Amino acid sequence: MQLTGKQVLNAAPAQVWEKLMDIDTLARIMPGVSSLEQIGENSFVSTLQIKLGPVNGSFSGNMQLEDITEEKNFTLKVQQSSKVGNANAAVKVNLVPVDDNHTEVSFDGDARLSGILAGMGQRVIGGVANTLTKQFFTNLEKELAQSAS
Amino acid sequence: MSTTNGMIGKSVKRVEDKRFITGKGRYTDDIVLPLQTYACFVRSPYAHAKIVGVDLEVAKAMPGVVAIYTGADVAAINGVPCGWQVNFKNGDTMKEPKHALLVEDKARYVGDAVAVVIAETREQAKDAAQMVLVDYEELPVTVDAAKAVKPGAPLVHDLAPNNICFDWELGNPKEEVDQALADAAHLTTLEFVNQRVVPNAIEPRSYNAAYDAVSEKYTLYTSTQNPHVIRLLMCAFVLGIPEHKVRVVGPDVGGGFGSKIFHYPEEALLTWATKNINRPIKWTAERTESFLTDAHGRDHVTKAEMGFDTTGKILGLRVKTYANLGAYLSTFGPCVPTYLHGTLLQGLYTTPKINVDVTGVFTNTTPVDAYRGAGRPEATYLLERLMDLAAHEMEMDPAELRLRNFIPPFDGVEQPGFQTQVALQYDSGNYEGVLTKGLEMLGYKEFRQKQQEAAQNGKLLGVGFSTYIEACGIAPSAVVGSLGARAGLFEVGQVRVQPTGKVSVFTGSHAHGQGHETTFAQVVASKLGIPMEDIDIVHGDTDSVAFGMGTYGSRSLAVGGSAIIRSLEKIIEKGKKIAAHRLEANADDMEFEHGQFTVKGTDKSVSFGDVALTAYVPHIYPKDLEPGLDFSSFYDPANFTYPFGCHIAVVEVEKDTGKVALQRFIAVDDVGNIINPMIVEGQIHGGVAQGVGQALFEGAEYDSNGQLTNATYMDYCMPRADDFPLFETATQVTPCPHNPLGVKGAGEAGTIGSTPAVVNAVIDALWSGGHQVKDIRMPLTSERVWRAMQTPVNT
Repeated sequence: MQLTGKQVLNAAPAQVWEKLMDIDTLARIMPGVSSLEQIGENSFVSTLQIKLGPVNGSFSGNMQLEDITEEKNFTLKVQQSSKVGNANAAVKVNLVPVDDNHTEVSFDGDARLSGILAGMGQRVIGGVANTLTKQFFTNLEKELAQSAS
Repeated sequence: MSTTNGMIGKSVKRVEDKRFITGKGRYTDDIVLPLQTYACFVRSPYAHAKIVGVDLEVAKAMPGVVAIYTGADVAAINGVPCGWQVNFKNGDTMKEPKHALLVEDKARYVGDAVAVVIAETREQAKDAAQMVLVDYEELPVTVDAAKAVKPGAPLVHDLAPNNICFDWELGNPKEEVDQALADAAHLTTLEFVNQRVVPNAIEPRSYNAAYDAVSEKYTLYTSTQNPHVIRLLMCAFVLGIPEHKVRVVGPDVGGGFGSKIFHYPEEALLTWATKNINRPIKWTAERTESFLTDAHGRDHVTKAEMGFDTTGKILGLRVKTYANLGAYLSTFGPCVPTYLHGTLLQGLYTTPKINVDVTGVFTNTTPVDAYRGAGRPEATYLLERLMDLAAHEMEMDPAELRLRNFIPPFDGVEQPGFQTQVALQYDSGNYEGVLTKGLEMLGYKEFRQKQQEAAQNGKLLGVGFSTYIEACGIAPSAVVGSLGARAGLFEVGQVRVQPTGKVSVFTGSHAHGQGHETTFAQVVASKLGIPMEDIDIVHGDTDSVAFGMGTYGSRSLAVGGSAIIRSLEKIIEKGKKIAAHRLEANADDMEFEHGQFTVKGTDKSVSFGDVALTAYVPHIYPKDLEPGLDFSSFYDPANFTYPFGCHIAVVEVEKDTGKVALQRFIAVDDVGNIINPMIVEGQIHGGVAQGVGQALFEGAEYDSNGQLTNATYMDYCMPRADDFPLFETATQVTPCPHNPLGVKGAGEAGTIGSTPAVVNAVIDALWSGGHQVKDIRMPLTSERVWRAMQTPVNT
């Protein structure tokens, strides 16, 4: 499944970058994350609660940040497993300055699902992914607004 | 109800429906045995993965767990066998990988069982199964049959290079067919997919296995179409248990559509494990588990070419099909795309040259096997789509094109059977008859006029035809044996007349919704002249029924019914001897009618009931005759039976959305003599609904990782009553010349005929609007039809 999204945020790339690289902020803004713990320089152990239509699952697994170019882009890799199936994703996140106070954040990636998650959720998953994306950007905007004020 | 003779041909209400519709049916999952345990299978979430390790520590400590088994525990046990052998063109036998009860090395499709957890309750088994930690190493996946044979495709089994199980051909030499097509004035070519569908029996698969340590006997309750076949396969080929130590019972069965013919790993595994733990074990599939593990149907990728002369006469047919067999060979897997598909490509036509080439392919998907119609729907779809398309291309009328090519009527008695180019010999047929009747019911001329007017008003109406034939009454043992069947396909019927004149009939033909208890009783009532209430039809238990091959391939009445008839004839013959002795007459002078044995030309008679009593209280009795009135017969048919018919669909396609509305559906079926017209009509209705389901709604969708993406009723679209108009059905009767009832079989006709009729109708609607579309991939969703309409319009 393709994962894509794009939004212009009211902050400079450096500010956005700072938020995205901060584990506590990340744990707050990523929808469904119930815990995020750093175990290496760019690797984390995570627990997620996600509801996909009729599938309600608690996921646990690892996340890694790779190919980091400061203030420009990085790749987020996620391996999560649960009783309802497993999910693997690799998402490239890009930051492009629009002007001094605006940054376009976009992401593009691919998620692979297996188990019940694949057999049951795929029809609704696009909609859920869009909702989660929206939540993510809303949360990020809030964080940015708070630090600005 | 109590009238005796002449029960044949009456729409008697189904006697079994009382228990079914009042919720009193007894299904496998209803059976709870003392000390019952429950099983839950741990299934691979990956379509292709190496099993690096299985950690049972946590699961074993879970509450209620009795035992856990993995592939290592059953590695020494044989896998479930394949019942049919198909050979390569060069004579090599097909590639036949082991289909293990639990996989040890690799999982090869999503749903492949890796371990089984047995616990005190279903919930405990499920909870513990989720704690079985399997370490998988994902491997590359192949799902599409036509792509799986390409060099470099991931291999499902090391023993099958290029994933090819067999490559097989039938018919005339290819060069002759090539020549016939080269000489043709018109060549119609169609490349298409006959998509994979999921059988969806309303009752999921369910097994309950028990072992009695005292008698050393096993009992397996199983939701099956053929208990004796399961016992034979499981005892002789998998577990090596002596057959007399195993009782297999098929209680009420809630539908099968083929999916419950096959011997699945779960039932052998449970039977094996029950002795280990010395407690009964039950497993019932959940719905998504059924989607993932019941053998699927169809899944052909085909290129078909048909050549015509200038008058529309067919000169030749060339077919190349890649048949997806799934990850393992299911019981009938290889036979469906070959001997049940290639052999039907003569259709109803006089086509002089036919060559069919089928490659059976392994993929990382659920095994594929017989599904209502099994091979014959695929053959019919191929031929009937070609016929309607050819008519469009040659600007001929599709009904006229068929009439020009039909095999002329033959009754199989005065006129011989028709020898096809593809091995079979048709028994009897009147093909023009069903088409003519269908056209009348449709009001064909008026429809074409209406269609034209509609097109002028911007509406798309279409009509689609399908004139099908099927090979049923499966099957003459010698014929199928020569074609690779590893079993004879006869049937057993035993008639036991009780001392009071009541009758118990034991049939190897085990019903799973067809109404055997009614139809068979009608036959017996007519033959013996006794009320239906005096007859009990016993089926589904290997301890009470001598043997049987089961219910599939529209064989129950044609083969199972014939076996009963043979036994009834023996009963009557012996009854005549007993009656003659009582009446001091010669047995040759006796006649039997309306339940009375009468001395010909006299009024001296004795009733059937009196004769029965005499047989069991033989005080006044012929010296050379044994007491009792109980006969068993094995009936092996002389040939297949060949039902045929004409299905016509009328659709309207909404221009702006591509939405298809089925407006009319006409089915004229010739299934030979009819015992119960209501049951035949019910079978046709159900079959048509299923066939239309494939055309418009259903389809198993795998993603490129081998995940079945629509494994629930939320995602897999089943047809509903409000998708259909009231079907208009009619029958024609051309009796089968080679079985005693003259019956041909009606169980699959609806599914075989209907699918191409609907697709042809949609395509006809599009042509009426100038969209010269050759094919739309099934199911014909609004989106696909709409996209097809975006092609340029020819006016």
